[in-house]
Amino acid sequence: MELDKARRYFQKECNGWWLISMVGAGVILLPILYVFLSLFQSPNENWIHIRQYLLQTYTVNTIILVTVTGLLTAFIGVLLAWLIASYDFPFKRFFRFTLIFPLAIPPYIAAYTYRNMLSYTGVVQSTLRNQLDIHINSELLTLTSVSGSIFIFTFFLYPYVYLITLAFLEKQSAAYIENARMLGQKPVPIFFKIILPLSRPAIIGGVVLVVYEVLSDYGVTSYFGVHTFTTAIFQTWFGMYDVDSAMRLASWLMIMIVGLVFIERLLRKRRRYHLPRQSRSIVPVRLKGGKAVAASLVCGTIVSIGFFIPVIQLLAWAGMTFHTIWDSQFFELLYQTVYIAVIATAIILVFSTIIANVTRSPSTFSYILSKIVTAGYSIPGAIIAIGVLALFILLDGWLAPVYEWMELGEAPLILSLSLVMLVVGYVIRYMAMGYNAMEVGFEKVGNRYTESSRMLGHGKTTTFFKVELPLLKGALLSGFLLTFIEIFKELPLALLLRPFNFETLATKTYQYANDERIYEAAIPSLIIIAVSVLSVIVVQLLDRRVKE
Amino acid sequence: MNIVDIQELSFSFSRNDEPIIDRFSLSIKKGEVVGILGPSGSGKSTLLRLIAGLEMPSSGSITIAGRRVVDDRMFIQPEDRGVGMVFQDYALFPHMTVKDNIMFGLSGLPRDKRKSDLEEMLELVQMQDYKKRYPHELSGGQQQRVALARALAPRPNVLLMDEPFSNLDTDLKDEIRHDLREILQKADMTSILVTHDQKDVAAICTKQMMVPVTSRSM
Ligand SMILES: Nc1ncnc2c1ncn2[C@@H]1O[C@H](COP(=O)(O)OP(=O)(O)OP(=O)(O)O)[C@@H](O)[C@H]1O
Ligand SMILES: [Mg+2]
Repeated sequence: MELDKARRYFQKECNGWWLISMVGAGVILLPILYVFLSLFQSPNENWIHIRQYLLQTYTVNTIILVTVTGLLTAFIGVLLAWLIASYDFPFKRFFRFTLIFPLAIPPYIAAYTYRNMLSYTGVVQSTLRNQLDIHINSELLTLTSVSGSIFIFTFFLYPYVYLITLAFLEKQSAAYIENARMLGQKPVPIFFKIILPLSRPAIIGGVVLVVYEVLSDYGVTSYFGVHTFTTAIFQTWFGMYDVDSAMRLASWLMIMIVGLVFIERLLRKRRRYHLPRQSRSIVPVRLKGGKAVAASLVCGTIVSIGFFIPVIQLLAWAGMTFHTIWDSQFFELLYQTVYIAVIATAIILVFSTIIANVTRSPSTFSYILSKIVTAGYSIPGAIIAIGVLALFILLDGWLAPVYEWMELGEAPLILSLSLVMLVVGYVIRYMAMGYNAMEVGFEKVGNRYTESSRMLGHGKTTTFFKVELPLLKGALLSGFLLTFIEIFKELPLALLLRPFNFETLATKTYQYANDERIYEAAIPSLIIIAVSVLSVIVVQLLDRRVKE
Repeated sequence: MNIVDIQELSFSFSRNDEPIIDRFSLSIKKGEVVGILGPSGSGKSTLLRLIAGLEMPSSGSITIAGRRVVDDRMFIQPEDRGVGMVFQDYALFPHMTVKDNIMFGLSGLPRDKRKSDLEEMLELVQMQDYKKRYPHELSGGQQQRVALARALAPRPNVLLMDEPFSNLDTDLKDEIRHDLREILQKADMTSILVTHDQKDVAAICTKQMMVPVTSRSM
């Protein structure tokens, strides 16, 4: 009886769409599981060494970075959100938007820009010395290791907190703030007594994103020579070619991330406010005189540090190197980057569309499937990279007889030296972006057209091509743009998984910076920033359109 | 012969819930127009969706034109059931003209036949002058006619209509009720009409029933 029903269910649901979704989920899950599996293998000598001498440093550094950055970004983010949401002052509209821009500068680019600006020969110290004749201890300004990383992370990641808190304050808090104002409370007590506790869920949401970025960072910490889990994963691979230990490190990092998710849930659950359902927008108070100037100054300073100063510096450097960098080789590099990003994005969108279509009808199965598909986005690039790498090496081992038969040599590494590996890495990491876009798309289209079409005698596939696809154009376009841009500027996966001699704009930039060829790094950096600003604008526009 | 034969049909949205439809049976003969009345939330739409194949019953069976379409061991996909449906909000494809909407269900046929079927349907619902228009360029009553024509074009064994008048003004309703009755009669269409309104049933249907059912079959 139950068996008959199961068969009937299968008859209804099982089809090509379903099978392809399963393949997609498998591809995503396999490397992640493989990383975890390493925990249960007996450790090698390397690992024993790492555990004895290094693990503690990695843990301590990681925790310091995460905690301090988390606190600082929370403070800056909420402060800015509060200013923008509840006050009017000169240039507010401009700041409201540009305060997001620091997100468009990848932190590793900010790191090398600031480090060089502030170094002995950099523009800050030489101006002080030569123009103003001020001699200071150059150590004081030099950005190094942990404190340098924290500075960079804080000023380039705070927008996560700012954005989420701002959205929350603008929409939800009007009643409370206006009440408090009416009761004659001063701004500062309002901030500490009302804004902070009220926006706690939003702040936590933002800080979790910041922490996640810090945990997965490779560019900044390796540039400043800070040993964290992520940099350690890279070093274990590049320095010792020890995949097993790298995977072990990766699974520990993964456990930290799982812990983070847990803490977030806990923090959010304990206190839930009953916010007024009828939420209206808050009416900002106009600031006057000194207060208005102060507010503008605070916003102006932060957005300058987080965006305009580094961009201007990069532009200056770019001007110096334009003639040497801007050549056919550079176009080749640009072409390669676009090429691989387009391939990966196309694959992602095909899978996302198919899977989003399958998960439309709510069931336990589609819930699990959607969780698997989006898993890659909450896993740091380094972990995915090492999982994919290990799996491909294994695969090459299994395929050795085939290679031999094809006369490609004895046990060569074919797959793990090809672009396929990098593309697979991208697909796993960014599937969530495509999937989310398509999920929203399907949601907007709804089920009614699909059901009509099926009632008119067309199967799932014909219905998709004739009815759904034309209605999904917008979602496909925005999904493509967002995913493409992310892949275009991606660093850690590309560093680890690219074939020998294959460069993307991001890896090239990173290499220039690492080789202290700072000026040469400026132009590729600016291109990456420009593309990212574009993505920030696209996201904002889409957001606005959804609201309307 | 019965065109629709429903036996002991039960359905619930999840295992633990009370069944929304509980051992429901119904037989409909060729050409009958059955009106189903019932309060909101009584499961009328759900019943139509079960017949259409858009939901799967937890038990019971449905037979359409002598062919079993669902029971405990098998399930025939909605596109293979020969059932037409007019949705409450019509769900005309927004990216297709009236003509393409109506021709959408005729894809298996030769070209000439499709053309002549289209003209026939347009004439039936009196929409010959509108075939180049897009759905958003039509009034509510016109959209409803197109939805009807689209559902009738593939000549389904049975036509399901879920509150087809709920989006229309009261003035328009009387007129359209009359038209619908004529159209269904002309096409000799076996139909099920779900509605809140006793007047709809009186004007159009040859038979009526209430849900939830008190006596289990009719
Ligand atoms: N997707 C769903 N999940 C869970 N319950 C549902 C779902 N859709 C409908 N229901 C419930 O099933 C019951 C029957 O719904 P149905 O739409 O069939 O009622 P109806 O008789 O058509 O009502 P109306 O006259 O308002 O259209 C309702 O109580 C409804 O709340
Ligand atoms: Mg209904």
